Amino acid sequence: AEELKLAHFVSTTHTLNSSIIDPLKQQVEARTNGELTIKVYPGGELGRGPMEQYVRALQGVADITWGLSGYTSSQFKKSMVVELPGVIPEGTSGYDMLWNAYDSELKSEFPGTKPLALWVSEPSVLIMKDKNISSPEDLKGLKIRVSGAMTGKLIEAYGATPVQMSAPEIYNALQTGLIDGVATGASAITDFKLGEVANSYTVGIPLGHIMFYLVMNQKKYDSLSDEQQAAIDASSGRALSQSGEVAWNERADKTLDGLRADPDSTVIDLTPEQIAPFSAISEPFVVENLKEIDGGQAVLDAMLKR
Amino acid sequence: MSSEIIGTLGILALLLLMVLRIPVAFAIAVVGLVGITILDSSTSAMSVLASESFTLASNSELIVVPLFILMGNIATETGMSRKLYDAAYALIGSIRGGLASATVIGCAGFAALCGSSVASALTMGKVSLAEMRRFNYSPKLSAGAVAAGGTLGILIPPSTGFVIYAILTEQSIGRLFLAGVLPGILLCVLFIAWIFVQSYLKPDSAPAGPKTTWREKGDGLLGAVPILMIILLTIGGIYTGIFSPVEAAAVGAGLAIVFGVAMRKLGPKAIWRAAQSTLTTTSTVMIILIAANLLNPFLALSHIPQNLGQFLTGLDVSPILILCLILACYVVLGCFLEGFSMLVLTMPIFFPVISSLGFDPIWFGVVVVLALEMGLISPPVGINVFIVKSVAPDIRLQDIFSGIMPFWLVMILAMVLLVAFPQIALVLPDTMMN
Amino acid sequence: MATLLKPLITLTDRLTSLSSIFSTAVLLFVLLTILTDVIGRFFGSPLAGSQDLTQMAMVLIVFGGMAYCEKNSGFIAVDLFEKMFPPLMNRILDVLGLLAGALLFAAIGYTVIEAAEISQMLGLSTNILGLEKAPFQYALAGFSLLTAFSLLLKCINRLLSLCGSQDATEEVNE
Ligand code: NA
Ligand code: NA
Repeated sequence: AEELKLAHFVSTTHTLNSSIIDPLKQQVEARTNGELTIKVYPGGELGRGPMEQYVRALQGVADITWGLSGYTSSQFKKSMVVELPGVIPEGTSGYDMLWNAYDSELKSEFPGTKPLALWVSEPSVLIMKDKNISSPEDLKGLKIRVSGAMTGKLIEAYGATPVQMSAPEIYNALQTGLIDGVATGASAITDFKLGEVANSYTVGIPLGHIMFYLVMNQKKYDSLSDEQQAAIDASSGRALSQSGEVAWNERADKTLDGLRADPDSTVIDLTPEQIAPFSAISEPFVVENLKEIDGGQAVLDAMLKR
Repeated sequence: MSSEIIGTLGILALLLLMVLRIPVAFAIAVVGLVGITILDSSTSAMSVLASESFTLASNSELIVVPLFILMGNIATETGMSRKLYDAAYALIGSIRGGLASATVIGCAGFAALCGSSVASALTMGKVSLAEMRRFNYSPKLSAGAVAAGGTLGILIPPSTGFVIYAILTEQSIGRLFLAGVLPGILLCVLFIAWIFVQSYLKPDSAPAGPKTTWREKGDGLLGAVPILMIILLTIGGIYTGIFSPVEAAAVGAGLAIVFGVAMRKLGPKAIWRAAQSTLTTTSTVMIILIAANLLNPFLALSHIPQNLGQFLTGLDVSPILILCLILACYVVLGCFLEGFSMLVLTMPIFFPVISSLGFDPIWFGVVVVLALEMGLISPPVGINVFIVKSVAPDIRLQDIFSGIMPFWLVMILAMVLLVAFPQIALVLPDTMMN
Repeated sequence: MATLLKPLITLTDRLTSLSSIFSTAVLLFVLLTILTDVIGRFFGSPLAGSQDLTQMAMVLIVFGGMAYCEKNSGFIAVDLFEKMFPPLMNRILDVLGLLAGALLFAAIGYTVIEAAEISQMLGLSTNILGLEKAPFQYALAGFSLLTAFSLLLKCINRLLSLCGSQDATEEVNE
């Protein structure tokens, strides 16, 4: 029997485990009658932090790794079109858009690896301490922590000041007032315990999404038998990606519902009228961004099968 | 050969190489790399080396290391450290062991502005070791006090240790921070109690100074005003949200330069000298940290922590015995693993056991961080010991280790107290947050 | 043999001083960058990308200081048993320690150059300022190789003195 090493850098209780890793592991092992197994190295055991995950798969430190495209955005310029605010139409899924464009547009951004899953998070929200945000005016001059370049520019366009810091520092920074808020997915509220220090959440501002990948070392894949390759193919791709995307959204909904029920926190669900002034800023921003990305419009067209 | 045996042989080889005086960083790195090569492949080992070297050297939170060393160097260069210890000597120098106790209190205070034990021990070591020697304190006692006091950095909030524990186990960071306060103070008091005992057992190691008048005490304090102001401004800036604990290192160094220049104690040449001598300490510490992170994948691949966990879970004995065994595991693993790597490796295994036995997860977090602190000063891979060595190269490593030994036992005592009286950790979070 | 080493030692010494001067300058630059960012943020306009700058500069500080650290004998060893060993054994162990260090830094240099090539292939750069990762990896590798070379020279030198030949460092220092 052959064993594949799967490495990630979050805890064993993270959504990633139940929605992506467990299904992949179970299906692969069942389809090969245990001839191909997957051993999981959680929490950065084979190497810490999000920055080097792709390289670890590429060099074979692990056979399969998980990562956020945004940490190395220069590598995923085209794929990250999916992160732009408002590009995923109602009724469409981020993972579908990514796989629609994969063969024709995005493959070159994944050299040396075979993506097993590509998906996006729930839409980002604003996580604020002591400040209620319902219009761009409310954001003027506030300090907002962002993780990527795109969100940074967008936050600036909305009138706030983007601030850069590592994820474990956010809690303390919110608590002391170093930053007024954070722009990220609602799942981060539980991941980084932000609910303990934040008290106001705004849902509906176009802030984009976060993209994730699960990739496998191509040489390792090529070295497997035909049956084993077929088992991996059947256990990965759109179906696995869907499982991840659905789980992320469910977790975010559950978190937000919990906060809505909590009398100590305010959740502001923006009405379409309240969203409009934000969209007036974000729509030209998206057009501008697509122009800056080489072939950006073509990527979006492929994602939307236009 | 099974992977567990290879893991165990690796640890033995590490001990041997260190006994044979191979520099610590090289010994750890060699064992880690050879181990990964055997358990996986040489490509994997080389790739881990490349990524750990770059990841740690570009870690934005570790920038506190060179900046706090710079602050310590400037404080020494301008005589501010000297003034601080003159003040402490005037105030409590007549008590035996007074200066060492003051250093431990200083460490606790510094812990309140710094989340990392490495940075705490570095800065306090830079400032205090030479000063204690000036007042004829034995290098053993002063080194032990600094290395042990420095570990308070991760018990007293803010603490990187608690943040990582909270994220790994889905616990509240706020509760953990509050829970660390009283045990931190307790440990600080126990350290001081030991210093007091030691100074009576061996009066030469911490000689009492002459009695001072109130006027002398006042003059002493006045001289220390600049450095006390720097400390107050830095702590104040963190708690009012003007800068982060990481940026505080730059602010502290910047303020030290500004005060030094304003007092005409510091010119461009002296600033340059202070900055350049920062390099040696920084590189010494960083290469050890890089090496220590190579052991982590090796031990993960050996499956030792995992099998240890499974073995403990399967035992049919009383919960308190399992708890004691788990804590013993931490103390032993702490000898070899870098603190945060150890959390990452062991939490997924031990935490579910602890919760299912009904122990309080916040309390357990405090106990585990205490165990991490012990790991920081226990041989062979005791990062704080090497830090003290790097800021005071003329103290022999054996003296540092023997100076630390009693403090390590004091920490065992603190752990026993925490297990016997969990309220020490839980009373603050339970009363202040519910 | 010793005369052959002499110019090499002089050369590494010069490079070591240069790299230490460079790293010191970078450290002071980082100090100013963070302070500018903190003060700027207080007044509502932080320095964009200060984290990018800090991270990359830190690489230069840590590894740029490595050879200097080596020259100041900064790498810590356990001196617990030194007195128990016979002098000859201690000298052999010194040589082995230096050799281990030379190998480690040579390995870091070699493997980080490979990593830099991968970074170039993937087009990796920092998020806000778009600083390319590869040049900093090449710098890291260069500094490591310098450190390795310096350790290797010291190692050869000790070997020569072990074999009763002249010590080239002493000659240079005179
Ligand atoms: Na602290
Ligand atoms: Na240790």
